[in-house]
Amino acid sequence: MGNRIRRDIIEMIYRSGDGHPAPSLSAADIIACLYFEVMNVDPANPTWEDRDRFVLSKGHACPALYAALALKGYFSRELYPTLRKIDSTLQGHPDMKKTPGVDMTSGSLGNGLAAATGMAIAAKHMHKDYRTYVLTGDGELGEGINWEAAQTAVKYKLDNLTLIIDNNGMQSGGAVEKVGGIVNLPEKFAAFGFKTLEADGHDCAQIVSALNTPHPGQPLCVIAHTVKGKGVSFMEHNNAWHKGVPNDEQYAVAVKELEALINE
Amino acid sequence: MNEVKSTRVAFVNALEELFRQDERVVMVSADSVAVFRAGELQKKYPDRTIEAGIAEGSAVMIAAGLASAGLKPYVCAYAGFLTMRALEQMRTFVAYPRLDVKFFGANAGMCAGEREGVTHQFFEDLGIMRSVPGFTVFAPSDADDTFDMVKRAYDTKGPVYCRIGSGRDPIVGQDRLLRSYGDDAVIIGCGAPLKDACEAADALKDGGVNATVISLNVIKPLDEGLLMPYISRAGKVITVEDHNVFGGLGSAVCEIAGKRVTRLGLNDVYPESGTADELKHKYRIDKQAIIEAVNKA
Repeated sequence: MGNRIRRDIIEMIYRSGDGHPAPSLSAADIIACLYFEVMNVDPANPTWEDRDRFVLSKGHACPALYAALALKGYFSRELYPTLRKIDSTLQGHPDMKKTPGVDMTSGSLGNGLAAATGMAIAAKHMHKDYRTYVLTGDGELGEGINWEAAQTAVKYKLDNLTLIIDNNGMQSGGAVEKVGGIVNLPEKFAAFGFKTLEADGHDCAQIVSALNTPHPGQPLCVIAHTVKGKGVSFMEHNNAWHKGVPNDEQYAVAVKELEALINE
Repeated sequence: MNEVKSTRVAFVNALEELFRQDERVVMVSADSVAVFRAGELQKKYPDRTIEAGIAEGSAVMIAAGLASAGLKPYVCAYAGFLTMRALEQMRTFVAYPRLDVKFFGANAGMCAGEREGVTHQFFEDLGIMRSVPGFTVFAPSDADDTFDMVKRAYDTKGPVYCRIGSGRDPIVGQDRLLRSYGDDAVIIGCGAPLKDACEAADALKDGGVNATVISLNVIKPLDEGLLMPYISRAGKVITVEDHNVFGGLGSAVCEIAGKRVTRLGLNDVYPESGTADELKHKYRIDKQAIIEAVNKA
């Protein structure tokens, strides 16, 4: 499913002519596992109040989320070419009031964990069993609100909250270690009081196993090691594809590579 | 003359009524329980306060998450830490998705910060919040008005920002028309300086100048229907507010008035520590300044 999402990401960005391919590709397997293996959701009833919640804090990777939602049946894949265009359901960054299945508006980096913390507190408050998942980038952990919210999430013992970090090691301006000075993530989240696990972010069995690990009395942090641009040879490890649109030739190559992976 | 009543206590009393009335109502605090005099309320309703700690941005985001799940959060913090530090969260994650979150900012105005000094005197909140699409902006006249505005916020769809004061807030009254001596001048104000405006109107009357004093507690949207007849008839239009003259009530009135308005407020400066009376006098939002403005306009 991760590769089917990838193929749709490339198609969406190619046909609409705008978007962030590489950060979407790195998140594809994580989002695939969430929507197709882990989360309890109902595409026919996107506002079902007992549904599990997902917050895509790295909102610029929304082509991955939109592809997962379309493949899950929330809306038609025919919307793909309208991405980022006037009057579209598919906004440049996720809009919870415009796109069925989007649980929280996002795109301004660093805010998703705090929103998810609120959603998880709400579940406790209302004695509901739904779980809240939030996917952040690694670069956006430079924003202080993450750490404010981390303290609150631990204080409230949010064992219904899971933070997944798409740890692809790159942010817009380069390596996260160099640009943001963001290092020692497992130690940091463990020190804050999260149950902290690491997984290969492109190995669905590892991701699902980590997400299903019990974490009574504390929130869970899964640091998913990923490759920016994963699945398209010329985009992997190439930060030039943080934002960009493949030309006709590149599109053909990318789709061919991804079709091969899907058929494996 | 110097009767005061706390807008903060009024807020908590109204919130308690809302707690009783609707179990979805919760308070979100950025270590604001003491500031908002909510200690007793928290003891009575221990599950109804979500405490984010000294972290306004996170507090607003948590409120957005709570509201997205169907709760009705009332976010309480100092006016400036809320509207300046957490402004983006208020805009992008509450107003843009039209979530039902209410915000209450304490220490709003130079006089509410008083001797704390500029770091705790917040006189830009109305202008900041007025410019954010989707926000309704309240500035209650006094404590009793605050009590009503907390409930009005509940009845108002979508995000509301409401400024409140120091806890030593002058009693102004809740009438929209506080004085109606005549059309020589109309003095339009909000919050604590309305008390000075009334005293000024009384003194001006003794000198043969008949003024009207209008109290506004909703800064956005402005009640044009109420204001325009007075503005049209009045010889002079004066606004007075404990806020920068740029962006607040005075600016809002100018946007609709189509005539010259004398705006009394902070003249785009940073004030200083002092008692409320000293500050009002030095920064010219007191009775004497209002009288002079009417005479000079």
